[in-house]
Amino acid sequence: MDERYWNREIETIDRESLGKIQLERLNRTLERAVNSPYYKGRIPDHVKDISTLQNFPFTTKSDLRSSFPAGMLAVPLDEIVRVHSSSGTTGRATVVYHTKSDIDNWTETVARSMYMTGVRKNDVFQNMMGYGLFTGGLGFHYGAEKLGALTIPASSGNSRRQIRLMKDFHSTVIHITPSYALHLYTLFQEEGVDPNKDLSLRIAFLGAEPHSEKTRMRVEELFGLNAYNSYGLSEMNGPGVAFECQEKDGMHVWEDHFILEIVDPDTGEVLADGDEGEIVFTTLLREGMPIIRYRTGDVAQVSPGPCPCGRTHRKISRIKGRTDDMLIIKGVNFYPMQIEKVIMEIPEVGNNYLIEIETVDYLDNLNIKVEVRPSIFHGDIGELENLKKRISEDLKNEILISPKITLVEPNSLPKSEGKAVRVVDKRSDQT
Amino acid sequence: MASQVTIFVENKPGRISHIARVLGKNNINIRAITISDRGEYGLINIITSAPDKAYEVLLKEGFSVSRKYVIGVLMKDRPGALADVTEYLNESGINVSNAYGFILQEGDRAVLILEVDDFDKAEEVIRSGGFHTLSREELQNL
Repeated sequence: MDERYWNREIETIDRESLGKIQLERLNRTLERAVNSPYYKGRIPDHVKDISTLQNFPFTTKSDLRSSFPAGMLAVPLDEIVRVHSSSGTTGRATVVYHTKSDIDNWTETVARSMYMTGVRKNDVFQNMMGYGLFTGGLGFHYGAEKLGALTIPASSGNSRRQIRLMKDFHSTVIHITPSYALHLYTLFQEEGVDPNKDLSLRIAFLGAEPHSEKTRMRVEELFGLNAYNSYGLSEMNGPGVAFECQEKDGMHVWEDHFILEIVDPDTGEVLADGDEGEIVFTTLLREGMPIIRYRTGDVAQVSPGPCPCGRTHRKISRIKGRTDDMLIIKGVNFYPMQIEKVIMEIPEVGNNYLIEIETVDYLDNLNIKVEVRPSIFHGDIGELENLKKRISEDLKNEILISPKITLVEPNSLPKSEGKAVRVVDKRSDQT
Repeated sequence: MASQVTIFVENKPGRISHIARVLGKNNINIRAITISDRGEYGLINIITSAPDKAYEVLLKEGFSVSRKYVIGVLMKDRPGALADVTEYLNESGINVSNAYGFILQEGDRAVLILEVDDFDKAEEVIRSGGFHTLSREELQNL
């Protein structure tokens, strides 16, 4: 066995053979997909040539939403063993169903990705991503166990306990959002912990948030480890879609599991390798819920040319932005519309609000400003504090994170008429 | 019954001066002012010579403002006077949510302003303890 690869044969497969596998798997996927109410009649169940895929319609997030709860389900519900869902309590959530085999395939891509960066059986992996509907927790957990690493399901938050776990179990590998990593370092300093001397960390997976090369270097320097960029989205399982190898120069997309296309966000036209555009994925092994030509909204480019690591799967650059107004905070994705919808349902607040995102101690904070209008003000602090609490709780139910609510004076926010700016992103490190 | 005007303000420079200027321009005298600070925002409570007019002009100026009934207790400006009043309230189980005072003339008389949970009972308890609670007119014409 070659120590460098989890699965040498598939990871270093020549492009022509990979293309054959893709075509065969695409046809199996199409056969399954047309069993779903959504894809039935919308796409053919067979193609002769993989390039035909370019003529297929795209699938978008709103298609996923409008087919809630089971419009894209391609197998009987009996076959489903797991469901993951995006935020949203109002029936507009996006749901992804997995069969046993889907979970196995997902696990395989995560194990392969982790192995690629150097994680081995004797490692201790502390998974600091949220467990639950969010895919970053369970996805990595299964992959790490499959690889054979001792896996600590630490989940997110509770920083002091995280540090204790790192000390007690000599964690060597962590999975963490970049902003939380930088925040955690400030706690290291408070507790007098020097990660270079007192801890055994050697690898960090930075995921769930786009970040810059500068941020990676900072995490590496502060913690004394190798940090790798990880990309995934719940519609394509979650983590394990694309991952950096030890070259740290772009993320290999596992093309035996996904067909990768980069398209012009405006025309939908497929672009050549090297051109910047929107990432589009087609699942190749999904049974429960195959998705054809999914528009991720993430902007990146494919790096042309072979990778020195020997893997033949193409690489994408860091995510450079979004084609829509989706916000990513603390690893959670949501749209300003979701916030607006919740706020509109609170009569005291109405449409006078402003969403502010700022970085405090390396953590992204979501701050919602709300006007205290004369009609709702009765001179009572208790009442105002209750209103703040209520808005925050209602929003947490929708977007899964608790925003800070700030009460401001009447008429101090942009008016609701016209194209008022409702989101102010003050984060500096957005590349 | 005495009336206090409460204004919602963000915690930023210039809010008190803005309010005071508006009242001054409208010839309204401020008897007492306190701030309940909640960090990012605060409530400014003022006792004025014309609470209704103060309410109107501040509302017109764009502030979130409300009128609240408070008890104004006229008392001797002497050590222990506040203790006497609050002990009566305590014995009757009345909770004070806000209290502040101002002196009318040094060593002579002072006014204690109280926000309480049971307004009517509080006024009765204070009166039966021999203290004088100010009527709206009395407070305005001080």
